Amino acid sequence: MTTLRDLLTRQREYGVLALLLLTLAVVGAINPAFLKIGNLRDMLVQDAPVVIVACGMTLVVVLGEIDISVGSQMALLATVLGLLTSPSHAHWPVATAVAAALGLGTLLGLINGLLVTFGRMPSIIVTLGMLTVLRGVSLALLNGQDITDLPVGLRVFGIGTFLGLPISLCTALVVVGLTVALARETPLGRRIYAAGSNPEAARLAGLPTPRLKLFAFTLTGFLTAVATIVHQTQFSVIQAGVGQGFELLVVTAVVVGGTSISGGRGTILGSFLSALMLGMVGSMLIFLRLGVSATYWERAIQGAFILVAVLADHLARQRRPRREAAP
Amino acid sequence: MKLPRGLPGRQELVLLGLLIGLLLLAGRLAPDFLTARAQIELSTHVWELALLALPMTLIILTAGIDLSVGSTMALCAVVFGLTFHAGWPVALDAALALAVGAAAGALNGVFVAFVRVHPLIVTLATLAAYRGIAEGISLGVPYSGFPPSFAFLGQGSVGGIPVPGLLFLVALAAVAVIVKFTPLGLTLSAIGYNETASRFSGLAVTRIKLWLYTGSGLTAGVAALLFAARRNTAKADIGTGMELDVITAVVLGGTSIFGGRGTLLGTVLGVLLIHETREFVSWEWSRDELNLIVTGSLLLVSVLADSLLSPKKR
Repeated sequence: MTTLRDLLTRQREYGVLALLLLTLAVVGAINPAFLKIGNLRDMLVQDAPVVIVACGMTLVVVLGEIDISVGSQMALLATVLGLLTSPSHAHWPVATAVAAALGLGTLLGLINGLLVTFGRMPSIIVTLGMLTVLRGVSLALLNGQDITDLPVGLRVFGIGTFLGLPISLCTALVVVGLTVALARETPLGRRIYAAGSNPEAARLAGLPTPRLKLFAFTLTGFLTAVATIVHQTQFSVIQAGVGQGFELLVVTAVVVGGTSISGGRGTILGSFLSALMLGMVGSMLIFLRLGVSATYWERAIQGAFILVAVLADHLARQRRPRREAAP
Repeated sequence: MKLPRGLPGRQELVLLGLLIGLLLLAGRLAPDFLTARAQIELSTHVWELALLALPMTLIILTAGIDLSVGSTMALCAVVFGLTFHAGWPVALDAALALAVGAAAGALNGVFVAFVRVHPLIVTLATLAAYRGIAEGISLGVPYSGFPPSFAFLGQGSVGGIPVPGLLFLVALAAVAVIVKFTPLGLTLSAIGYNETASRFSGLAVTRIKLWLYTGSGLTAGVAALLFAARRNTAKADIGTGMELDVITAVVLGGTSIFGGRGTLLGTVLGVLLIHETREFVSWEWSRDELNLIVTGSLLLVSVLADSLLSPKKR
């Protein structure tokens, strides 16, 4: 018999969704302005980059790997995008610059993937190295000066709307839809899950695990470029600290969403919902009117959410017979 | 950890070679850089990193990781500053900061050892949580005005050696003795190679892990005090990104991120190489972003070389 409790703890998506709705209801009851369309839209727009990149990251983590370089990738991509389009620098046409950024993002992901698969290096080390190097490169390119004259044609990606919805929001929804379909319905997606849940069996069955990993890293790089294009263009300035700590937000969303860090298990929908959940914390603290000082606690609460999710998982697992495979 | 061997391994020799090469280059380009005075002066930047690398080496040996050390530093520093500004005696403030560090580490340890959550997840959570608490209780305000007796901890020197340096040497000696002359070193490697087998062999895996993470938190407390004493300021943003520097140094030193393999000598060389590279690059070109590029490339190239040169596994 499936009890509600089982449902909430077994499928992390339902647990996160329940928590999300509960938070909306409670904060909405205390301050109805929280549920106004304008605020909901602002929150979603803010979460868009995390959602977009988390779609690729989920597949990377399902394959038992990790990419902590996405924040620095975003920094480099934003810097390049700014330098290419700004009238006082390269002044390229926006379309060419955007294509270049997408290409560069894909290339960065490909490099990560190649180092992990053919370089046979642990992904956490590869992407830690890339995190450091790419941050350095973007700082060197910026050379201590902010880019302030982004052309309107570029800013449109950040502040424009499509059918009344902000472009970043539309993009995030399309990305979620496409990647969910990819993961669930295509042979490629099923192979990724197969290779992640039992690498040995996948190898014996002849699955090309290295190529699957290469794909997942490359997709993540491409999606980071997409996120950069629709998010960083919301602001009129591109400065040195862009994207710092972004990798932690994405990895956190993926993990809280129920993806196992050792691979094989986890859904994009879960990552999507938990990105929304975690993104709500800051706004929630403002709307609860706890005073100015409350907003300083945002990160503490986000951290506590992860620990609670992890504990809930642990308790749920204890109630069921263990079915952990030997390594 | 290869205990009985007296000779350094390949990774250590490579690091030593790189270090010597760097110093020769530095001596050629900037003779002033190599003077004892300059080196002691520059060494003030490295002690916190060096201290934190000791427990991190042991943790990574067990196939664990601690991403929260930078945030724990911030939390300890803020606790110290807050209690100092409340008018409590400075010794008590310092003791409290250390206790908070140990408690923060112990909480990581409980989640890793008892709840058995992947350390990457636990410390990713506390990386956010501890810095969040530091920001929350301090409201982002910097504390300063610590007494000279406290500043001595970070700025003073005994017999020409900076106090933090002495502290590091004592800690290094203690850890080295424990690892070399007690079964602990071998136990840590065993846990890293095969945790299940270690448990079935009756090794106290749970207890050892709890102590390791607690020790890492305590060390972060010490590092926080050294930082506060050196800069005479304590703020919620200190130690940002420190965890990545520490892990880079340890991995550069040849410790396998999958556990089981690694040496303290390697870690010391890794720390030295990163430190000297950074200081030299700053000295010669005074551009911080070059440091990032050089450090990151060093990590990538050394691990890639190691992986391509070693016989194919898996």
